[in-house]
Amino acid sequence: MGGALGRALRSPRVLLALAMVTCIACCAVFAGTLAPHDPGDQNLLSILTPPAWADGGDPSYPLGTDSLGRDVLSRLIYGARTAMLVALFASLGAMVIGAFLAHIAGYFGGTVDWLIGRAVDVWMSFPPVILSLILMVGLGIGLSKVILAIVLVDWTRFCRVLRAEVLIVTRHDYVAAARLLGFTHWQTIVREIVPATTPLLITLVSLEMAIAVVVEAILSFVGLGVGADQPAWGQMIADARQYVYQSPWNLLLPILAIFLTVAAFNLLGDGLRRTLDVRLAETGR
Amino acid sequence: MTVLALQAKELVVGAHIDGAMVPAIRALSFALEPGKILGLVGESGAGKSMVGRAIAQLLPAGFAITSGSLLFEGSDLLQMPSAARRALLGRAIAFIPQAPMTSLNPVQTVGALFDEHLVRLGEARRSARRDRAVAMLTAARLPRAAELLTQYPHQLSGGMCQRVLIALAFSSNPRLVIADEPTTALDVTTHPPILRLIADMQREHGTAVIFITHDLRLAAQLCDQVTVMYAGRAVESGPARTVLATPAHPYTRCLQLANPSMRAERRALYVMPDQMPSLRQLRDLAGCHFAPRCPLAIDDCRRGEPESLAAAPDHQVACIRARATQTVAAPGGDLAAAGAAERPLLQVEDLRKHYDVGDGLFAGARTVAAVKQASFSIAANEFVALVGESGSGKSTIAKMLVGLEPPSGGKISLDGEDLTAPSARTSALRATRLQLVFQDPQSALNPRRRVASIVTQAMEAGSRHADWDARWARTRELLAEVGLAADFGTRLPGQLSGGQRQRINIARALCSLPKVLVADEIVSGLDVSIQAQLLNLLARLRAELGFAMLFISHDLSVVRHLCSRVLVMYGGEIVEQGPVEKVFAEPQHPHTRALISSVPPDDPAAKWAALAR
Repeated sequence: MGGALGRALRSPRVLLALAMVTCIACCAVFAGTLAPHDPGDQNLLSILTPPAWADGGDPSYPLGTDSLGRDVLSRLIYGARTAMLVALFASLGAMVIGAFLAHIAGYFGGTVDWLIGRAVDVWMSFPPVILSLILMVGLGIGLSKVILAIVLVDWTRFCRVLRAEVLIVTRHDYVAAARLLGFTHWQTIVREIVPATTPLLITLVSLEMAIAVVVEAILSFVGLGVGADQPAWGQMIADARQYVYQSPWNLLLPILAIFLTVAAFNLLGDGLRRTLDVRLAETGR
Repeated sequence: MTVLALQAKELVVGAHIDGAMVPAIRALSFALEPGKILGLVGESGAGKSMVGRAIAQLLPAGFAITSGSLLFEGSDLLQMPSAARRALLGRAIAFIPQAPMTSLNPVQTVGALFDEHLVRLGEARRSARRDRAVAMLTAARLPRAAELLTQYPHQLSGGMCQRVLIALAFSSNPRLVIADEPTTALDVTTHPPILRLIADMQREHGTAVIFITHDLRLAAQLCDQVTVMYAGRAVESGPARTVLATPAHPYTRCLQLANPSMRAERRALYVMPDQMPSLRQLRDLAGCHFAPRCPLAIDDCRRGEPESLAAAPDHQVACIRARATQTVAAPGGDLAAAGAAERPLLQVEDLRKHYDVGDGLFAGARTVAAVKQASFSIAANEFVALVGESGSGKSTIAKMLVGLEPPSGGKISLDGEDLTAPSARTSALRATRLQLVFQDPQSALNPRRRVASIVTQAMEAGSRHADWDARWARTRELLAEVGLAADFGTRLPGQLSGGQRQRINIARALCSLPKVLVADEIVSGLDVSIQAQLLNLLARLRAELGFAMLFISHDLSVVRHLCSRVLVMYGGEIVEQGPVEKVFAEPQHPHTRALISSVPPDDPAAKWAALAR
C-alpha cells in the first residue's frame, strides 16, 4: 500500500488534481475570510455590474454583481462550500452503503448476491437525475436532503463495480486459507478482502465526488437543491439565465467553477486508478 | 553435404534490465539436420522457450536479438526481409504451442480454423480444403474427423485440442516444427500418445523438430540430439542417449539425481542449493553461471566463462571440471519410511459429492457426481498419495476434507471426532488439526501481507490475538523449519521466488502444528531442482514435527519417492489402493497401468513401451 500511495503522489496527474481540489477546498473552508462581501448582501444601486476589468466595472466587486446586486465572487466562494460539503458527504455515504452491500454480495454469493444484485438492477433502471428529483420533492429542500438524495441514488454505482472486484478477490486461495486457519467471515472480509478492494474504492469515491457536484448543481438549478438562503452554483446559473444578454459573466463564471471542480475530481480519480490499481500499474512498468 | 534444417550460430538475445543489456541467451549454437529431433532441455528461466520465440521473432517486450545468426536451410532468418520471413512462418516453419486450450480461437470451429489456414496455404477449392482437413485430422488419430470440423474448441478435451494443433502444424508439410512443451499442460496419460503422434508425423513428413522440454527422461526417449541449457547458455550438447547416459556437465548430472526414480531403488534426492540466477543476478555474475550451485566448483570456475570442450567427438560440454562429473552422487541417506502408527488417524467412509447443474428453471436440474464413493484412512505420521487425472475428483476430496465443500454423503472423522458437516465446531477443530497446503502459492499468499504476518496468520484468527513479539518468535521458528533466513519475515510474497513462496505456504499450514496436512499438487508447477528441495523438506519436517499427509499429485515418481501408500482415483472413485511398491509393481486396474506406463524410463537406453508401436 505504501508503495502504491507513494507512486500516486509522484504522478503529475494526481499532483495537479490534488492542487486544484485543495484550492477549491480552501475556498470552501475559509469562505468567511476569503469572500469580500456577505453572499446575501444586496446593493440595489449596482445590479448586474460587469467584472472589475470590463467597462463600467466596480473594483469593490471584482467579478461584478448579479441581478439582485449581490457580489458574484463571494457567492462563488460560498457556492464552493455547498458543492464541497455535498461532494464529501454524498460520496462517502454512497460509498459506505454500496461497499458494504458489495462485499456481502461478492463474498457470500448465492441468494444474498442474487437479492442485492436484483435490487441494484431495479434501482439502476430509474434515470438517476429523475430519481433524485423525485426524492427531493418527497424529502423537501436543504443541504442534508440533497446529500441524502444523492446517496440513495448513487450507492448502486459503488455496489455494482465493487461487487465484481470482490468476486475476483474472493476467488483467490488466500481467502479460503484464512477461513481454514479459523478466521470468521467478518475477519476474512475486513483483513483479507477490504485491503485488496481499497484502491478501487478510493478511485470510485473521487469519481463520485465529481458526479455529486454535477447532481447538486442540477438540483439547485431547478430549485430543488439547497435553500435559497444558501449560495449554490446551480442557483447562480438559474438566476443568471434571464440576464444572459446583459451580463454573460454571471452565467459563465459558475459554469466555469463547476467545470473546474468536476475536472479536478475526474483527473484525481483517473490518476489514482492508474497508480493504485495493481494490474494497471504492473503492465505500465 | 545436406543443408541443415536450422542452424544457430552464436545467437545472443539480450534483455533490457535497468537500462543495461543483459544477455538472456548467450552464444547459443546448434545444428539441426533435416528429419531429426533436437531437444532443448532445461529448467524454467534457462532460455529454452526464447529460442522458439527468436525464430518467430515474437520476443517479449524488452528482449532483442543482439547478434548471431539463425540459418533456416541456409538463409538467415534474422537478415531476410520481414515479408519473406512471414511467408516461411506457418508454412515451412510451424509451431506446436504449450497451452493447447488457449491457443485455439474459442469462437471458431475446428473446420473454420483449418479452412483459414489452408486458404493461406493457397488451396483455392473449398471441397479440397475440407478433404485435406479431414485427412489431416484422421492422420492425427482423431476419431470422426468430419464431425469434428463443426465443433468448437471448448467441446474438445485438452489432448484433442493438441491433436488438432498438431494436425494444423503439419498440414503445410513444414520442414521445421517447433514444439514448446507440447504435453506439459495435459494429463499424464495423454503424454505418450501425443508424443507418439509428433514422432510419427515427424517421420512421415521428414520434418525437423525442435522439442523444448524440462524433462530429461522424455528427451532421451524422443530426441536424436539434445542441448541442455542453463541460465541462457548451452552447457552440454550431443546425441540424446549419450548425453543422458553419461552426462558430462555437473548440471545435467545434478538434474538427473534430483529427479526421483520410478523404477530403481528409492534413494535420497540430490539437492542443488538455491535456484537458477535471474537475469538481474546474471548481470553481476562472473565466471561459470552454474558455479554458485555446483558441487565441483573450484576457484577457476569463477574466473571466466568456460569454453565449450569436446567430451567425446560429438559431445560438447562447457565445463572445466567435466572429467569429475560422474563423481557427483546423491547423499546416501536412510530413506526407510518413518514408522507409521497402526491406528487410523483420519478416516473417510463412503464419501460422496455431487453437484446440481443446469439452471433448474427451464432445463431440469441434473446432478453430476464429482466423487462417487471414496473410503480410505490415514494413520498418524503416514504419507498417503492420491493420484489420478484432472477431473477424477482428487481436489474435490481435498476440499471436503478441509471443509471448503460440504460432502453430499459419507463420513469424515479425525481422531475419533466427526468432521463431516461444516459447522463452527468442526471448523475450529480443523483449524488446529487439519490444514490444506494450496497448489498455487501465487494465489494462496495475500500479496499485501508480509511473510511474518502470513505464516503466523493462524495466531490472529477467531478470538486469538497474539502480540507481535509472540508472532515474531513463531515466525523465526517456522522460517527456520522450512529453511529460510529470518529476514524473510519482512518481505512481501511478490519479492519471493516460486520455491520460496511454496515454503511459506507450507510454513503457514504448519503454524498450529496440525496432525494432518492435505497437499494439493504442491510441487507440480516447480522445477526439478526446487521440487527436490521441497520433497526433502517435507520428509525432514515429518521426522521433526510428526504429521500425516494426503499428498495429491499426478507425478508418480514423486509419489513413489515420498509416500508409503497410494490411492488411485478414476472417474470419481478410488479404483485401487495399497502400498506404493506393490501397486506400482503389480497394478491391477487398467487406469493404474496407464498412469504407470506414461512415465518415461530412467535409463536412456531402455525402450519406452508407451512410445513404441
